[in-house]
Amino acid sequence: MSGLGELDRPETPRSPGAWDERSRKSLTDRAPGPGDAAAPSSGDGGAARGGAQPPSTVRRAAADPVKALMHRHRDLCERAVDPLEIAAGLEAHGVTDRTAARFRHRDVFSLAEEMYARIPRDGDAPPRPTEPSAPRAARAAWIVLAPLPGVLCAAAVAGLRLTEGRPRLIAAAVGALAVALALRAVLRRGPLRAAARTSGTWTCWLVGYALLGDGLLHTALTGGPDALPDGTAGGPWPVAAAPVVALALSCVPAAVGAHLFTTRARRRLTSSRGLADFSASVRPLLLGVFALYTGALAVLLALTGAVLGEPAAYPQALTLGALLLLARLLTVHGHAHAATLVLTAAAAAEATALATVFAGRLPGCGFLAAPVEALVAVCGPAGVPTAACGVGALTLLAHATRRLTRASAHAHAHGQARVTASRPR
Amino acid sequence: MDNRPSRHCLVRIRSSRCEPPGQRRLPKRRIGGARVRIGLLTEGGYPYVGGEAVLWCDRLVRGLAQHEFDVYALSHSEHQEAEGWVPLPPQVGRVRTASLWDHEDDGVAYGRRARRRFAECYGELAAALCTGAPGDPAGAAEDGSTLQADRFAYALYGLADLARDEGGLTTALRSETAVRALERACRTPGAHRAAREARVPDLLTVAARLEHALRPLSLDWYEDDGLGAVDLCHAASGGPAALPGLLAQHFCDVPLLVTEYGVRLRTHYLTEPDSPPAIRSLLAAFHGRLAAETYRHASVITPGNAHARRWQERCGAERAKLRTVHPGMDAAPFAEAGEAPEYADPQTLVWVGRIEPAKDLVSLLHAFAEIRRAEPGARLRIVGAPSGPEGAAYLAHCKGLAAQLFPDEADGPHAVGRNPVSFEEIGGPELPSRADAYTAGAVVVLSSVVEGFPSGLVEAMFCGRATVSTDVGAVVEAIGGTGLVVPPRNPRALAEACVALLRDPERRERLGAAARARALELFTVEQNVTAFHGIYLEILLRTPVRRVLLDDTGEPLPFAAPAEAHVPGRWSDPARVAARSGPGWATDTPARTTDARATPARTATADTMRAGTGNAGTVSADTATAGASTAGASTAGGAKVRGGTERGGTELRATERAATARVTAPVSVTEGAAR
Repeated sequence: MSGLGELDRPETPRSPGAWDERSRKSLTDRAPGPGDAAAPSSGDGGAARGGAQPPSTVRRAAADPVKALMHRHRDLCERAVDPLEIAAGLEAHGVTDRTAARFRHRDVFSLAEEMYARIPRDGDAPPRPTEPSAPRAARAAWIVLAPLPGVLCAAAVAGLRLTEGRPRLIAAAVGALAVALALRAVLRRGPLRAAARTSGTWTCWLVGYALLGDGLLHTALTGGPDALPDGTAGGPWPVAAAPVVALALSCVPAAVGAHLFTTRARRRLTSSRGLADFSASVRPLLLGVFALYTGALAVLLALTGAVLGEPAAYPQALTLGALLLLARLLTVHGHAHAATLVLTAAAAAEATALATVFAGRLPGCGFLAAPVEALVAVCGPAGVPTAACGVGALTLLAHATRRLTRASAHAHAHGQARVTASRPR
Repeated sequence: MDNRPSRHCLVRIRSSRCEPPGQRRLPKRRIGGARVRIGLLTEGGYPYVGGEAVLWCDRLVRGLAQHEFDVYALSHSEHQEAEGWVPLPPQVGRVRTASLWDHEDDGVAYGRRARRRFAECYGELAAALCTGAPGDPAGAAEDGSTLQADRFAYALYGLADLARDEGGLTTALRSETAVRALERACRTPGAHRAAREARVPDLLTVAARLEHALRPLSLDWYEDDGLGAVDLCHAASGGPAALPGLLAQHFCDVPLLVTEYGVRLRTHYLTEPDSPPAIRSLLAAFHGRLAAETYRHASVITPGNAHARRWQERCGAERAKLRTVHPGMDAAPFAEAGEAPEYADPQTLVWVGRIEPAKDLVSLLHAFAEIRRAEPGARLRIVGAPSGPEGAAYLAHCKGLAAQLFPDEADGPHAVGRNPVSFEEIGGPELPSRADAYTAGAVVVLSSVVEGFPSGLVEAMFCGRATVSTDVGAVVEAIGGTGLVVPPRNPRALAEACVALLRDPERRERLGAAARARALELFTVEQNVTAFHGIYLEILLRTPVRRVLLDDTGEPLPFAAPAEAHVPGRWSDPARVAARSGPGWATDTPARTTDARATPARTATADTMRAGTGNAGTVSADTATAGASTAGASTAGGAKVRGGTERGGTELRATERAATARVTAPVSVTEGAAR
């Protein structure tokens, strides 16, 4: 009984086990007295009220059963965002209202509320979500596919150069078909894939104008055309093959750029804390990708021009390439509407330019051809597509810097990456 | 309009006295057979093969052949749509489906005003999700919680109105406006702790998930020829399936009945353990608030068991609206087994179920070891197939444990020994059916640690077996006092209970008979169908006619919406329909007696038209009111009087049915003594 004085001092138990042992001994040794009430009151007040039970059970129950329960379900408690989640988890582990009664709670919900309230809240940040990587097979597929249109286009041009007459016609048709199919394949998978439908017609028209339009305009203004194009740059209706080959080859930088843009943006998405942060960090990325593509296209234009011995036609090809890239990027990220609109407008502008030149030949309608003639007089035939595509590209660039820097534009890619990562093909 | 008596499906018309008594015949019509058009709302369920709760819905629809069902189904996956539908009975009038899995863009871009409307509504939605304690709508009495619930409702119906007026909600819900509103709400000072930590990908995911969950808002079901034409909506589950019901009530005043066999909110908690806390917090808040809103607007909520009921009460459901309707199970396969005398081995225990860790067979084997010490001749048959690879591994583990605990035993030195514990599957030559499995033993044991509604236990009850089960899930509720219940994970208690039953055949028999009687009373398909039939009619009794028909001069047409108006299809001349704010009989001052001919217009509006729970001349007391008094009524033309007490049972309100009013005999209502 020497330790009784220490025991009866009201204090928080330092460890439940030792306190339990000593108090049990004291309770069994000693007759109930005034000190009896003091000892339990220092611990769990609820347990002290069960006076009718034998002392040993009282002391065992006093050792904070909820704490033990929390320890057993610590994973559940750590990740719970509200008490009901703990309640659901507890029930899934077989805790019922009758179990909760043993913890002196009316039901599982109130037990869960106590547990939720007692979760230690230290300010550690949640682990950063890991970056899902794109499956290897899909990446390989688009890397193989991306140069395909350029290669086929070069082959088609070579075929045009090497053949004459009817075989040349066949070569042109087969080449155009093959390039179209390859382009379609590139746009169907890889980073240039888009969920929305796009207007292939207007894209074809724009590329067709780059191939034939300048020659046609030139000949039209000089009174032609007198014959159909023969596939060479020196004929009566000159054909500009070099920019088209360069554009077809530029599928590779376009795909790489789009891939870079998507992956980098996704990485910034996971790392940025706010929407404004994200926009600010993606804008330079977008401009960088745009500059990369334009530079690559310029190099390709110089190369093809040198190889094919044609003038490189920088302005019209560069603006057209920029327009197509931006339209594709917008479409890929779910803003197909604006892209389609601008492509249509550019194509319509070119068509109108040609139409006014021919309409100006009608008696009394000479004034119709005046604007185009003035433009050509200043800039040459390249002025028309450059103006049309340049204005379109600038519009799309302004639009893209607003739209593609938003987080919602990357939501689809974000979700898609998660889906493909979880279910590889 | 058609007033032919042949159209009166509900009222007996007394034949006149001029006939000789022998020839007098009452027209044989289905009394109490009001034909109700029910909009059955399912999510990933009923018409699709292999969906959730398909069996229950199918039994319900087939069991209520006198009603008409319109099925409105939301499908979960392309796979589900490809699998097709179950065969539909003729009472299913139409099936409309919408998919929750593919998102099609209707290409509508909002103008400035619509954008502002959307931003306002979505901002309110986000604020309601982020602030306050999510998942704790139970404290609805508190001002803050009520405020949040109102904000949520405002946002929900605002978005629904927007979708109905402008379309294009799908695009808007994924737009930057939505994400920005979410971000703003998460960064608000009062936001929940987990929501404050939301990062951009979390916000995007939440926006996408909310768009997914709110897809029913964009459906075109809420027109007068869609859900507006049904008499009541019956949501087969909570959550997204109840959302069309809520909107139907919002747009067309259709009453809503919600049946939940598993609480949707709880399922959400259990199926989303790995997402970041911000996503879980926001989505849990959404599901919690949606559940609270559903419970608030539902006329009746039918939980499948007490466990679901507790969750619903916790989520804010009023107790007055809750009616527990136990799931119905087909008793026919077990009828023979239940009625046959016991021929099983009196020393055999049977466990039947799917083998998985939650069933705690290890504990059962330990208990059986104790049983063998008391009753050396006892045998245990474990009948069931493993579920999944986890179950297979668990089965192997249990087999190993059984082999360790119990060596094979033989009757004599020359006989082949066998293990007292046998693992079998249903479908073999020994146990061709589940009924055979249950009847193979004297006592059926259930040792689960986790259980929802114990269907196996109910089957054992159908078979008239004495049972020993652990106290988990809805076991106590199902078994009542007709079996022994022990705590889970307590092999000794399980063993003691089993031994007690093994040694006492009389008690076994008594308990088995009681169990069978209880199961036949509570858990049959018939009781389930009957309960829903009664609930349908009860809801309709309390639901006023939703529209008033006007004639050419703009006057209300009396009796223009009789009971036959619920016969599908138009049979009378079209009349103009005017929306009416509320039930006429509810706003009118209660009258002691009402002469149908004196106030024809009022009778027409008061006409609930779903005459039908009882026979002519009977009285049905409104259960929503105090129900303390009944009103006796004698009517000359077979009138029905519904009596109910209001505010302490002092006023008696008599409401005639139009069918009554159409009978030319003068109607007199004698007032019943209010008890």
